[in-house]
Amino acid sequence: MAGRAAERIRKAIALVNSVADGAGDEDITPTEIAEAIRDCLELSEVDQVANVRRYLGEALDAVSDGMPADFVAMTLYAALGALREGGQTG
Amino acid sequence: MSSAEGRGRTVDEAVDAALIELKESRRNVDIKVITETPDEAVVEVTVIDHAATASSGADAAPANGKAEVARGLVEGLLKLMGVRAQVTVRPSSEPITLDISGRDLGALIGWRGETLRALQSVTNVMVGRHLDEGERIIVDVERYRQRREHTVREIAMRAARQVKMTGDAITLDAMQPFERRAIHLALEGDPDVTSGSIGEEPERRVVVGPRKAAAE
Repeated sequence: MAGRAAERIRKAIALVNSVADGAGDEDITPTEIAEAIRDCLELSEVDQVANVRRYLGEALDAVSDGMPADFVAMTLYAALGALREGGQTG
Repeated sequence: MSSAEGRGRTVDEAVDAALIELKESRRNVDIKVITETPDEAVVEVTVIDHAATASSGADAAPANGKAEVARGLVEGLLKLMGVRAQVTVRPSSEPITLDISGRDLGALIGWRGETLRALQSVTNVMVGRHLDEGERIIVDVERYRQRREHTVREIAMRAARQVKMTGDAITLDAMQPFERRAIHLALEGDPDVTSGSIGEEPERRVVVGPRKAAAE
């Protein structure tokens, strides 16, 4: 059920990791990362599991505040973890 | 600490040659690629002295305080997670690399290394204030990351050979950023082929093509 949300969160994480790892083959802007996170927030699935929307919101704030990529990634992983736990229990 | 130089057509073959000489298994050694061309790879394989590495944790603190801080934090984090594992600082690694070893650590690696990557992000956030700008800590579990890098370099070399034979570009499977980076680095010195990436995360793929075609 939460498959699409997980997929979109993973996409956002991959973008952030590209910045953090410096793959050297792309030029990812904060705007692109923010867009990917907003794509996640558009899904109703993120409201069906506790804390997912909150973590995504925090990640979005972190991007706009210019926080380090690892911090954004950590917050997105938290959202993914919450989604996974919610999927298992719910 | 004993070490041996290995030569082979590929990095894997070179490592195997050195391992045979050292009579060691892959998980107990540190591998350094000295040269890597499409025709030959030369590696230096050093046996890790686990006892010395573990005891050097405290000794290394003055020499590399940041690494020791990171090691301590990750060790504490794993303890809180209920994971029994040993955390060591990989000797002379740049950037600082923490090796986590123990039994049944598959869960710590996760699907396509996802959990490992999350652990690395958390580690960097925790240690962040001790690091210089742009400096990062790499976390590896049972040498997973190192093994993946070797594997993708092998794939890159194979692709390069094929591109030279056929003259056609090859698109590789979707890979993570550190894997794509390993491929770009492996091929950057090759005068005949070039590498670039296409697609969007997480389906971004490396394309290996003839350099002449790219220049024209």
